[in-house]
Amino acid sequence: MHVYIYDEYLNKTKYNRAINRLEIRLTDLGLNGKIIRLGGIKNIKGTIQNEIKLGAKTIIAVGNNQTVNKIIGAIIDTEIYGDFQKKTLLGLIPVGDDNSIASSFGIKNIDDACNILLARRVEKIDLGLVGSYYFLNQASIQSQGTTIEIDDYTLDITERGEVRIINLLSDQKESIKSNPHDGKLDILIRTRRRDESIITVKKLKISNPLEKLIVDGVVEVNTPVEVGIMRDKVSVIVGKDRLFE
Amino acid sequence: MFNKENKLEKFKDAETIIGASIKVKGNFQGQGNIIIEGMLEGSLKTEANLFIGDSARVVASIESKDASINGEVKGNIKSRGYLALGSTAKIFGDIQYGEISIEKGAVVNGQLLMLSGEPRHRDNKKVEDKSSEETE
Repeated sequence: MHVYIYDEYLNKTKYNRAINRLEIRLTDLGLNGKIIRLGGIKNIKGTIQNEIKLGAKTIIAVGNNQTVNKIIGAIIDTEIYGDFQKKTLLGLIPVGDDNSIASSFGIKNIDDACNILLARRVEKIDLGLVGSYYFLNQASIQSQGTTIEIDDYTLDITERGEVRIINLLSDQKESIKSNPHDGKLDILIRTRRRDESIITVKKLKISNPLEKLIVDGVVEVNTPVEVGIMRDKVSVIVGKDRLFE
Repeated sequence: MFNKENKLEKFKDAETIIGASIKVKGNFQGQGNIIIEGMLEGSLKTEANLFIGDSARVVASIESKDASINGEVKGNIKSRGYLALGSTAKIFGDIQYGEISIEKGAVVNGQLLMLSGEPRHRDNKKVEDKSSEETE
């Protein structure tokens, strides 16, 4: 059974047309299933967990990065995770902005997403962890004043720019190749002096007294905070144009 | 081996790059190639190759396979393979190497010791090397 989780923001009238088109396309492909609209649901975790208990074969996030993160947050490190890992796949249909995770999976638009769901190409991927938040793509913070502690050493960055802790790349043009199967995170530091630093690690502690760490572009987390990785934690449905091997 | 032409080729897949605006403190270890353009204090060790850029400042003991050094290093260097000291290199410490080349303008202030086979050159005195030719 397919279970489609519609994010709350899709209740806005500007998304009606896109949603209608999506539902027609899913029916045409024989992919229709149960629809759960998060607008109005108070216990999101309980609702998603219940669907997995009831035997959902695919949970499909319809929305953006935040929708995916809500679903992952409802599943990982809960009693339902064992069932999810054995029986359930995670799919994604991007609607609107903030869809870097879909880009990473090689999903460009709604039509593309429907075809990819039908093809059912599955990859197990790592999940990044910032405090109690999970991320698929990256966590980022302003570089100036940021200190990163890794194993036996620390990095201090004094120049303005950005620090990105990447699990899964969202842009093909990047100079690094991040692998979401290797159990490692790639730290990419780019400053205004146009220099670039790259370090691959398993875990780190990051702090900046003035800035917050942004997780997958949507959640702000205070520092200092530990960042780690959990290997092959989620099975996801991806397109052939995904940005990883 | 290193030279100006193959430096980028050799390091395009560097596992670690420390940019010019980064300061590293502590014991830095890696398995892959490392490029240092910034500052490092502590120790630096890799199983693979090491490139230290001309703006880099390193106060650390260093251990690597091949190494190309163009910046300032205060500390002992052990390069199991080929060590290339560029014209802008300033070394204040002892050097152990498999093979070595020193470009004109490089400053070496310490002992040179070849790691294996018959030592080709051993100098127990402090050396200020501003030789006009590359040596091996």
